[in-house]
Amino acid sequence: MRLITHNMLQCHVKGCTKDNFPLKLEEIEIEELEAEFNADFIKSMLNRLDWKALAQTTFSLGIAQLPEEMPEELSDEMLEQLHHILLEIDITSGRMVCQGCNHVYPIRNGIPNMLLTESEV
Amino acid sequence: MIPYLVYFVQFHEDFRIQELEALAKLENVKIKFNREDYSNENPFFIVELESDEDAKRLIRRSILIKHIIQLWTSGNDYPEVYKNLKSFDPEKYKPYETSTFKFMVETYNGTRTMKEQVDIINTFSFLPFTGSIDLKKPDNTFMVLEKYPAPTEPPCKIYMGKLVGSGDRQLVAKYDLKKRKYLGTTSMDAELSLIMSNMALVRQNSLVLDPFVGTGSFLITCSHYGAFTLGSDIDGRQIRGKGKTSIATNIEQYNMKKKVLGTIVSDMAHHPWRNNGELFDAIVTDPPYGVRAGAKKIGLNTDKYDAPPPTKRDAMNPRYPLTVPYEMEQVLIDLIEFASKYLVVGGRLVYWLPTNSEEYNKNDIPQHPSLKLIANSEQSFGKWSRRLITMEKVKKYEDIRLTGEGNTGHYQFRQFYFYGKDGEQKQENNKKEQPKDELESEKVKKSKHE
Ligand SMILES: C[S@@+](CC[C@H](N)C(=O)[O-])C[C@H]1O[C@@H](n2cnc3c(N)ncnc32)[C@H](O)[C@@H]1O
Ligand SMILES: [Zn+2]
Repeated sequence: MRLITHNMLQCHVKGCTKDNFPLKLEEIEIEELEAEFNADFIKSMLNRLDWKALAQTTFSLGIAQLPEEMPEELSDEMLEQLHHILLEIDITSGRMVCQGCNHVYPIRNGIPNMLLTESEV
Repeated sequence: MIPYLVYFVQFHEDFRIQELEALAKLENVKIKFNREDYSNENPFFIVELESDEDAKRLIRRSILIKHIIQLWTSGNDYPEVYKNLKSFDPEKYKPYETSTFKFMVETYNGTRTMKEQVDIINTFSFLPFTGSIDLKKPDNTFMVLEKYPAPTEPPCKIYMGKLVGSGDRQLVAKYDLKKRKYLGTTSMDAELSLIMSNMALVRQNSLVLDPFVGTGSFLITCSHYGAFTLGSDIDGRQIRGKGKTSIATNIEQYNMKKKVLGTIVSDMAHHPWRNNGELFDAIVTDPPYGVRAGAKKIGLNTDKYDAPPPTKRDAMNPRYPLTVPYEMEQVLIDLIEFASKYLVVGGRLVYWLPTNSEEYNKNDIPQHPSLKLIANSEQSFGKWSRRLITMEKVKKYEDIRLTGEGNTGHYQFRQFYFYGKDGEQKQENNKKEQPKDELESEKVKKSKHE
């Protein structure tokens, strides 16, 4: 799972609406991938990203220290950094934990399991 | 504007002009045509465009167009064609006079031997072309296209012009399922998957989701066109595969790791996508309707839950996504609502919808105030059809339920399809008549056209 995907996933347990995003990554294994840098794609994703969540996640993983708010002007350097963060970091295993209800979403072979149990839907 | 002759393949007829229109939008090409001139029985269609460059660009991604020809003239017989060509202002031929060239004869619904073709070509020797003939890399290729009313009769229409561009049908072979390493029972054939990517206006840097990803056919074709793709499926075994192969194998086979972002296991009825913004440029999918996917429900004990499935909106009776049937009507409602929320404005939803041929009514197509119906193309299997539906998001999400008609239509469809008109369950009997899976449907199609 790339971090761009992580930035788009929330806890959807029934009734869990507070602190259900972003999901906290725990005990993860990371593999670095190589993706073609494409400034246009990164730019087109900017208004679809949740910047705060991205800053928080990358900080807690020790990957990057992004400004708290999305800068108005993004330098080429920043775009490249975002490219690396969003597309080149692949979480191969671990889990995502909801900070609201503690639901655990496991990640196996790079594939997060977002299914809920019967009592949670 | 300049007239051009579009030369379509003569199958998937109900998808051809739809693909052409999608490509015009995708490539930003100004096109004019008269829809009344179009017929599913005719592979030739005249359009007007601004330039050869536009014509070339227009069809460079086409799966259902063979060639596009700058149309010089047409006639009901050869004398008429010669007469027209001779009446042109000599200026018209100036640019071609000294360049190398080649002539080709194409026939539709008839045949010509090599000798006959050469003879036809020689009758055009009155044209003032003095350049040498080059069969391999000519500066210009001129084409004569003949249309026959029946193979035994003489041609009834002859077109003559300059070839300016060709479609991209070689992709059909490149992504052929027969060569694909990981397949499932409902893998979508390459040709239709490619057409779907065109209908969805998938392009470089699009972000595309297939929420019923299965073996990932659409991830492959959408990423072929440069999209970043995501897939999800309730059945992790579909994604991971059972033996040695999986979606990852296919991604590797086609070298698309840089473009396919990944897959997640999730239930479309209770999906985890962040709900505070528009995320996707396109949703391209083949939803799990009972028709085909019903047979392969996840292997939990369903007997335990044989009571009628509680609906999602019934708060006191939560549903159990792994074990209850996902009713067709609900699949559609979920999909349409999802698209209306999660697509960017201008983004497209492209999906398959099975319909009972006899009972089909256009109200069966779901509607939504923020989604505009762009195309509805039928692939017929006799008693039933599947329709490729293309919708475009035209307005931001409004929390309006689907309009009544759509629901009713589908409800009826489901009734007839599975239970017969009298409401009696006929599922077992019906099964025999339905293609078991995509591969079998593929055979039906093949035998029909080849
Ligand atoms: C018709 S198949 C799609 C096949 C796919 N286009 C391919 O090329 O392999 C439908 C898929 O939907 C999945 N599915 C069924 N119910 C689902 C649900 N509630 N949420 C998400 N996926 C579901 C099935 O596991 C199946 O893989
Ligand atoms: Zn939660």
